Amino acid sequence: MALPDMDPPSIPSIETRLTYTDSSSRTVYSTEVEVPFPEGRLIVSRTDLAGLITHANDAFVEMSGYPREELIGAPHHILRHPDMPKLAFKGLWDDVAAGKKWHGYVKNLRKDGACYWVYATAVPNIRNGVIVGYTSVRRKPSRTRIAELVPVYQQWLADEKAAS
Amino acid sequence: MTLNFLIAPDFAPERFAGWHMLNTTLQRRSGIGLHLLTPANAHEQAELLTAGKADLVYANPFDATDMIRTHGYLPFARPAQRYDEMVIATGAESGLSSVDDLKPGCRIALNENKDVKLIGLRLLEPADLTEALIEWVPVDSYQAAARRAIKGEVEASFFLADAFASLTRMTRSQLRVLVQSAISDISHVLLAHPRMAEQLPAIEKALLGLGQAAGDADVLEALGLPHGFEPMTQEEAEFMIDLMDTLLD
Repeated sequence: MALPDMDPPSIPSIETRLTYTDSSSRTVYSTEVEVPFPEGRLIVSRTDLAGLITHANDAFVEMSGYPREELIGAPHHILRHPDMPKLAFKGLWDDVAAGKKWHGYVKNLRKDGACYWVYATAVPNIRNGVIVGYTSVRRKPSRTRIAELVPVYQQWLADEKAAS
Repeated sequence: MTLNFLIAPDFAPERFAGWHMLNTTLQRRSGIGLHLLTPANAHEQAELLTAGKADLVYANPFDATDMIRTHGYLPFARPAQRYDEMVIATGAESGLSSVDDLKPGCRIALNENKDVKLIGLRLLEPADLTEALIEWVPVDSYQAAARRAIKGEVEASFFLADAFASLTRMTRSQLRVLVQSAISDISHVLLAHPRMAEQLPAIEKALLGLGQAAGDADVLEALGLPHGFEPMTQEEAEFMIDLMDTLLD
């Protein structure tokens, strides 16, 4: 499913053309604004095997900035921030498709162009021995780990751009 | 035929009468004899479960995972609008104001409730605190956890949110909440052993019907579950278990 281009925010932003793993692409806008992770909460979503969102809890809806009806049925990469290198997601789909758990620190993009950092965990939903979908839970991340990872992600992104 | 109804040992002492009232009501309305089992702690509960003595179980979510996925217990209901949340609190005089003020080597009091510990550990992650960096101080009740924090013997204590709310106003005034979870997806679960599948519809009807007859409000009030119970499907329970799985590490 191809996502429509984002609307430009009313404040200064960076325009980027993102191409996703399903080969679709769209223009996104990112601002310098970071929204803090809500205290004590978890951001929860589920997707089907194709990565389309089937469930979003209230915290997911609030933090993403999208209305629920825009999220349900949309690909999970609707949250993909242009600062996130592909390498940071390495193993995500391979791990969960193999029945394993995946963890990672992720900078997500909101509908308004702001961002929010999370510590994400994804697990396969196994029913009667068969994977029927995936659950992803995001919790408040360690700022120390984020500070360590920002330059790493920047380097990976630069490497990916140089290679393409 | 009498079935055993096991209640997880994490309810507040003042709810004891409420569980007996519920047991009596369910027996009367379902026509099925129910014997209430109230183990004093997790060890006693494990012994009863291992001995195969639990037909019906009011299980905490952590234990429900194994009971559903390994032993085939059938989820059928949960408390309505009542989620398992937890509180991390410090003594009002401690000078600490947020989880970030807790440092490696800090002392934290907790009882044996695994859900509270699991969620609490996740709430400490943003402060770079892991299980190994904390000096754990085991206590046998939430009242003891409160006392330790108030006296400054620990930097913080873990509480089930309901238990924290049940502390006296005087006790709560001497504590400061550092963080409270607001997950809204994790709850206790009513489970039935597969061998009682035949009797389950009558029990289910009696339980889910609570709140409609005169006097029901007294039972639910005594349980501390004013909204009663709501149905829970197998998939809803599996969803909760998947969610808890993500919190294990």
